[in-house]
Amino acid sequence: MTFSGEFLAFMGIALVAIIGGVLLLNLTKVVHMVVSLIFTFVAIAGLYVLLSAEFVAAVQILIYSGAITIIMLFGIMLTKHNDEHEPKTGKWRKILVFLGVLGFAAAVYLGIYNFNIEQVPTTLHENNTMQIGKALYSKYIIPFELTSVLLLVALVGSIILAKNEKKEADDQ
Amino acid sequence: MSSVPASAFLALALILFCIGLYGALTKRNTVIVLISIELMLNAVNINLVTFSKYGMAPSITGQIFALFAISVAAAEAAVGLAVLISLYRARKTVNIDEMDTLKN
Amino acid sequence: MMENAWLIPLFPLLSFLILLLFGKRLKEASSYVGILLTLASLVYSILVLFERFSEPTFITKFDWLTIGDMHLTAGFEVNQLNALMLFIVSLVSFLVHTYSKGYMQGDERFPVFYAYLGLFTFAMLGLVISPNLLQTYIFWELVGVGSFLLIGFYFYKDEAKAAAKKAFIMTRIGDVGLFIGMILLFWETKSFEYSEIFAAVDAGAVSGTMITLTAILIFIGAVGKSGQFPLHTWLPDAMEGPTPVSALIHAATMVAAGVYLVAALFPLFAASKTALLTIAVIGAFTAIFAASIGLVQTDIKRVLAYSTVSQLGYMMLALGSAGYVAGVFHLMTHAFFKALLFLAAGSVIHAVHTQNIEEMGGLWKKLKLTGPLFLIGTLAISGVPGLSGFFSKDEILVAAWEGGHPILFLLALAAAFMTAFYMFRLFFMVFTGEARGNQQHVHESPANMTYPMILLGVLAIVAGYVNTPWFGTFLGDWLVDGNKALEHHGHAEGSPLIMIAATVVSLAGIYLAYLMYSKRSLKRNWLSGTGDTLHTILTNKYYVDEFYQMTVVAFTKGFSYFLRFIDVFLVGGLVKGVTGIVQGLGAAGSRLQSGQVQTYGAVAFIGLAVLVVIFALTGGYLR
Repeated sequence: MTFSGEFLAFMGIALVAIIGGVLLLNLTKVVHMVVSLIFTFVAIAGLYVLLSAEFVAAVQILIYSGAITIIMLFGIMLTKHNDEHEPKTGKWRKILVFLGVLGFAAAVYLGIYNFNIEQVPTTLHENNTMQIGKALYSKYIIPFELTSVLLLVALVGSIILAKNEKKEADDQ
Repeated sequence: MSSVPASAFLALALILFCIGLYGALTKRNTVIVLISIELMLNAVNINLVTFSKYGMAPSITGQIFALFAISVAAAEAAVGLAVLISLYRARKTVNIDEMDTLKN
Repeated sequence: MMENAWLIPLFPLLSFLILLLFGKRLKEASSYVGILLTLASLVYSILVLFERFSEPTFITKFDWLTIGDMHLTAGFEVNQLNALMLFIVSLVSFLVHTYSKGYMQGDERFPVFYAYLGLFTFAMLGLVISPNLLQTYIFWELVGVGSFLLIGFYFYKDEAKAAAKKAFIMTRIGDVGLFIGMILLFWETKSFEYSEIFAAVDAGAVSGTMITLTAILIFIGAVGKSGQFPLHTWLPDAMEGPTPVSALIHAATMVAAGVYLVAALFPLFAASKTALLTIAVIGAFTAIFAASIGLVQTDIKRVLAYSTVSQLGYMMLALGSAGYVAGVFHLMTHAFFKALLFLAAGSVIHAVHTQNIEEMGGLWKKLKLTGPLFLIGTLAISGVPGLSGFFSKDEILVAAWEGGHPILFLLALAAAFMTAFYMFRLFFMVFTGEARGNQQHVHESPANMTYPMILLGVLAIVAGYVNTPWFGTFLGDWLVDGNKALEHHGHAEGSPLIMIAATVVSLAGIYLAYLMYSKRSLKRNWLSGTGDTLHTILTNKYYVDEFYQMTVVAFTKGFSYFLRFIDVFLVGGLVKGVTGIVQGLGAAGSRLQSGQVQTYGAVAFIGLAVLVVIFALTGGYLR
């Protein structure tokens, strides 16, 4: 195995992503968790660059590191967080879930660790955004439009959900 | 041609997926559970993008699917948060272990 | 006539069914149903009996159950013994039905009583016309059920309940023997038919040991039913039932069933000297054993009960001494005079409302009809010349002498002495002397109670003349007629000395009783003399009950405690364990249903993980 620049970059990015994930699990304050996850999201964007998907990487940073994280932070701010009292779920469940996740990971890893798929030269990195744009507006035009409908529904739905309850709360 | 094998990406995706899964199943705070689910979706996106580059017939389709997945995830996050806030108004808590109305 | 003899048992069954269904509405009128239907049986039995005098044996059967080559049949048979038994049973049953109308007057379960009587009579009549062992066994058990119901009729009395249970269980012990013997016979001869069994025995198809074994096993059944030693203890206790029931069960029917069984299977028994000897020894021993207990009992019905046991021992002795005719003859005469005695005793009890003879006395003048009738029965059972008991007893003594058992003969003679003594002790204590108890309202019983007794009194006198050494042995000749196996067991001519000895002995017994209880020139306790040991032993019936209590019952109790222990701790523990596991699983499951989505998700995921791991380890499928 050669330590090419690309490989070193991958190792660094992977390290950042995993550290971000582990911090998510181990930090105590909710805000810290969310912030630690921003590292992971950015690292994943880096991975996309390595995988010749510059446009996706950009979208990743915009949507995740930007929009979703901010939404989550708003959610945290709008709700009270008191983690003082004892959790109802015991240690046993955590251990069981941990073992289950470990078993699942091992089983899947068995499947991928000798996975040597053939590589052929690609042209994905050349004018990546243009390729995506062409595909989206030709071959995938209907799913694309449907996605916009979905986003609209989600927008309206979220507003109604949040607003209705407020009215009721006012009534009370 | 990349010097990083596809299995490396897949393994990283697996690790992130497992972290997200564990977080989703054990964390008490609903916000963190939602974020963990986002992390799992991200891990899946990595797989999609990886397979758009590696394999016998690399194509842009994988990336497009990743984009769709991101937009759906964004919608899900928005709706999920809306539900969370209305629930919080009703129950005055965001701890997932206190939301047990499914029992009755 | 004979081809429709199957109707005879059906009349009482009809009575039983009618009273079962409409008894509550018929109330006292239900007695007429029972009386009329048993009268129909009686008339038909008499017709059949007379026809049988001239016609040959009638037998019919049909295939009841066919298993492979086995044909189990059902049917009925009218041979001499069966015809005679039909007559005796239906007669006594009819008289008891009539008598009960007076005796049971006012009992609120009057129709039930008649229904039970009908059931019992049906079973007994069915028993005596069965042509094969299996059918006999079925009716045999039905008789047991009937007796259980009748003995336990006063079920609110603890003693009656216990007596009914005791009768049922003790006879059941004998029935086990009968059942095993029956199955062994079937194994050997491939048939339940009497005729085929006898044919197989006659042809030597069954080994001698097997004949002895089966004969003794079947005799054990008869021991249980006929109250022979050592299974006799139920019979005196069964006196807790109503007195007409005692007359029916203990004079003519149920206890006679054992004797009947031995008589019906006599060719089988005759083929084994050992079996015959066993029967004779047990019979003789029972005769003297029960008679000695009867000497000291103070309950009028218990004296009669022990006398019954003793007389049944006589019959067994006769059969065991190859005196087929003597046994059956005594069965018949005993049925008459013992039924008479029981009914008379019932009349006495009806009058004075006590069963203790110490509280009676001087009833001769007050009970103008019952007294003489009781005296007739007493004379007959004591073997005073001229009455029926004299002839049949003489026949038995001759058979015992001819059978070649001098010791058994002497035992029988001693028992005859004791019988005469205790029967007259009973008579003197009840009817002579001064009144000892509260006897203000003593009155004679109503007519429907006295007429049956009069009829039985007549029979108790004349029934003996059908088979006497003086006027011909009609019964004996008829009974063995046309039956090869029985030809050598007919009436036997004995030395007149035996007759004289029997007469002397019984008169001596009567005289002794007269001296002790009527004239009182002998003190009542002169026999026991210095110590009361003998008296105590006799009063306590040789402690047989206590012995059973300490051995068999104690063992059974211990064993059942052991089984109970197994049941409670082993089986119960297992059951509790199973339920505990199920409950634990249920509790765990319901705890799992916490309503928390996260938990559900965790469980679902863990399940998936397990499946995936198994998949990865086994490569796709379990090996």
